[in-house]
Amino acid sequence: MDTLILVIIGLVAGPVLGGLIAGLDRRVTAWFQSRQGPPITQAFYDVAKLFGKEKMVVNQWQILCSWVYVIAAATSLALFFAQSDLLLIFFVQAVGAVFMVMGAMAAKSPYSQVGAQRELLQVLAYEPVLILVFVGFYLVTGSFSVSAVWQVDQPLLAKMPLMYLALGYALTIKLRKSPFDFSTSHHGHQELVKGVLTEYSGPYLGLIEVAHWYETVLVLGLCALFWTTNVAWMIVLIGCTYLLEILVDNTMARMTWRWMLKRVWLLGIGLSVVNLIWLYAG
Amino acid sequence: MSNLLTLLILLPVVAGLVCYFVRSSAVRNLTVVATGAILAAASLGLLGQGSFEPLAVGSFLGIGSDFLITVMDFALLGVIFFYGVKHRNLLIQGFTLAQVVLLAWFEIVMVEHVDVPALAGDQLSLIMVLVISIVGSLICIFAIPYMKEHEEHLHLKKSRQPRFFFFLLLFLGAMNGLVLANNILWLYFFFEVTTLCSFMLIGHDATEIATRNAVRALWMNSLGGLAFVIGMMLVYMQANTLNIAAILGGASQGALMVTGVGFLCLAGFTKAAQVPFQSWLLGAMVAPTPVSALLHSSTMVKAGVYVILRFAPVFAGTLLSDGVAICGAFTFLACAALGVGQSNGKKILAYSTVANLGLIICCAGINTPLAISAAMLLILFHAISKSLLFLCVGTIEQAIGSRDIEDMRGLYARHPRTALITVIGILTMMLPPFGVLLGKWMAIEASAGNIWVVIMLATGSALMVVYLARWAGSLMASREANAAPERQPLLTRLPLMLLCGGAVVLSLFSPWIYNTMVAPMFNAPPFIIRFGSFEASTGAFVVGPLFIVFALGLIYAVKAASGFRKVRIAPPYLAGSNAGEAGTYIGPMNVPVPFSTGNLYLGELFAEGKLTPIFNALAVALIVLMLGGAL
Repeated sequence: MDTLILVIIGLVAGPVLGGLIAGLDRRVTAWFQSRQGPPITQAFYDVAKLFGKEKMVVNQWQILCSWVYVIAAATSLALFFAQSDLLLIFFVQAVGAVFMVMGAMAAKSPYSQVGAQRELLQVLAYEPVLILVFVGFYLVTGSFSVSAVWQVDQPLLAKMPLMYLALGYALTIKLRKSPFDFSTSHHGHQELVKGVLTEYSGPYLGLIEVAHWYETVLVLGLCALFWTTNVAWMIVLIGCTYLLEILVDNTMARMTWRWMLKRVWLLGIGLSVVNLIWLYAG
Repeated sequence: MSNLLTLLILLPVVAGLVCYFVRSSAVRNLTVVATGAILAAASLGLLGQGSFEPLAVGSFLGIGSDFLITVMDFALLGVIFFYGVKHRNLLIQGFTLAQVVLLAWFEIVMVEHVDVPALAGDQLSLIMVLVISIVGSLICIFAIPYMKEHEEHLHLKKSRQPRFFFFLLLFLGAMNGLVLANNILWLYFFFEVTTLCSFMLIGHDATEIATRNAVRALWMNSLGGLAFVIGMMLVYMQANTLNIAAILGGASQGALMVTGVGFLCLAGFTKAAQVPFQSWLLGAMVAPTPVSALLHSSTMVKAGVYVILRFAPVFAGTLLSDGVAICGAFTFLACAALGVGQSNGKKILAYSTVANLGLIICCAGINTPLAISAAMLLILFHAISKSLLFLCVGTIEQAIGSRDIEDMRGLYARHPRTALITVIGILTMMLPPFGVLLGKWMAIEASAGNIWVVIMLATGSALMVVYLARWAGSLMASREANAAPERQPLLTRLPLMLLCGGAVVLSLFSPWIYNTMVAPMFNAPPFIIRFGSFEASTGAFVVGPLFIVFALGLIYAVKAASGFRKVRIAPPYLAGSNAGEAGTYIGPMNVPVPFSTGNLYLGELFAEGKLTPIFNALAVALIVLMLGGAL
């Protein structure tokens, strides 16, 4: 019963928190750039407007894929709130990512095709890092499940500091922030138009936006697991991490996939491996 | 019981002989279909009776069956040696001669000939029999219309199908014998029969490249045969018995025993085409597609992983075990990386097979109940999904005349059914809640205690997602409202539908499969099943609930998508310069310019020619390390 309530909380909190974070993100970015920025609830208005638009597709796969994307993203967050297995949560999230890419490839559009290829490279970059971070969780708590993390008596950050940095790479990629926003970005002015999302429009783009909110909350939830002993510190940790993400987003240029693959595999996996060796030794 | 065993091993041989000598296509088709149905029923019957203790076979026409196997062993080596001479290959001749000498020494001088129960069936054997008899039979049935069309393309004067189906069916019998054998000499005999069958089938088309690749397969597998004989001798020196059950039951882990099993693992590596032996399996794709499907899913390569899994209890906790795990994980990573650079559909599948076999072998090396469960589930689900994908590629190749995934772009427009089945097949290979991913999940959780193994598995599985996802994506396309439906023969469609349905439905029943077939193997099973979910203190995989959520979600999504003709269909975005014709834009001088898109194959990072020698060298070093660890 408790699990069911948690799942419902997760399903509701996902879009609400995700939308608010997106709005806050735009406000803080505007503040960095000495602008006023939109209201915090702007993200909700945007998605509501998308849902009201005319339905328009290149073919039926896009409808199917955008629905599966949002369902998989919601399921993965529900599993996270049900304190399930971290690897399973990640694999379920991957269902959504794969379907989003397939939907983009279904349209014969050069922009979305190239965007889809780049999106796959982003998956390639962050997936090993995330799996290794989960192995780190296992080594500290003796289990892959989220529930075990709540039983530690010392924040995981103390034992896995390098892994947290490595997770930062995955977080930046998943949030579609510079320098890793080359498959698609929040700004529609890159060389690929809107990249992997180019051919999604109207309500289907709205679905993808909601799925993205779910994923944002999921990845920030993973960060939150690094400080489970004290809720106040957990909020501080997530707040600081997200502020840093916005800072990075505003100060970095967009890079190429080669740069990303080398950087994330060498540094991300390298940091994880060093941290894992500490854990094995400890 | 013994009737079923006779049926499973000898019926395919007899049916093969019928196909070979009765040169009528009607008789042949009927024989193949009937054999497939009987084999499938017999394997289910065997499963229904459950695992059984080793039993003796006795004599055949007054001649002891062990003696008969020995005679056939030498005859078989003679045949292989003959082909070594015919193709002037010194490696085959050398490896075979060495086997003959060692085997003669072993049989005449070393072995005290006492009665050893020849056949036994535990959970592992029963699962293998199911895979061989059902998946293998479906492939044989698929081969009937496929070979008809294949030969029409070749314009042969005299059909070579009798020979083809003889070896195809013989293969199934040999595999059933291999997994049910309890006498290590019987195991060796069937091991060699699969070597010969694969050689014959790879070289079936008798073109220059087919012959060359068949010869390569033969010498590599002869090396494996030699390693098997050496391993068998070493094991016998310590255990003093040919009885596999007794070898596994004896608690001795002496140096001779572990070294012997190390050599048996090497034999398994060659058969399972682990790096550096992967080239024979890649070469095997010149054969007609049913052969590839058979070699890659239910037979041959699975014989390799079976041998390693069979002897895994003997090397538990030794350095050899770690060596096997690292070699397997390395193959997984290396072949996942090599697959990224490929655009040939069959080659992608081949690399993915070798990688998945590496994963299974890695699980055997990790050697915990969790890892062994992962290995068994992977054997089952990989066989179904991989055979399905090979049959799909074969069907597509006959339909569009190419096996390159760039040519399959937009396949849905013309061949919707095949494209859809292929997409489902690809999804069952890489996504939850399907069985292959369940196995991969278990494997990663089981390997978490070994840092190097888990790094390789994490990286390899990411690479796999890349090349499978982009293939599935490129098959999708728009279809005209009034396009003609796709037609194909019943015997093509039936195996495709059954395998596709099996991959999905059996995944749903994976908790039940685990409970009835895998869990009884262990004193302390790694999981308990509750609400259709795998649960353990280390983690949980909710198969049932995920299936319900995804099934409901997919039904809704399909319903939403099926009404797409009511929504506005727009051409793709081309910066506003779309030309009237699809796939073109208005270029300079107002002329429509066609454009095309292709996958990113990352040639600079994942070039096959550049990476293969490096991977081979590393793999040889790891194997030497592994065998050294056994000493």
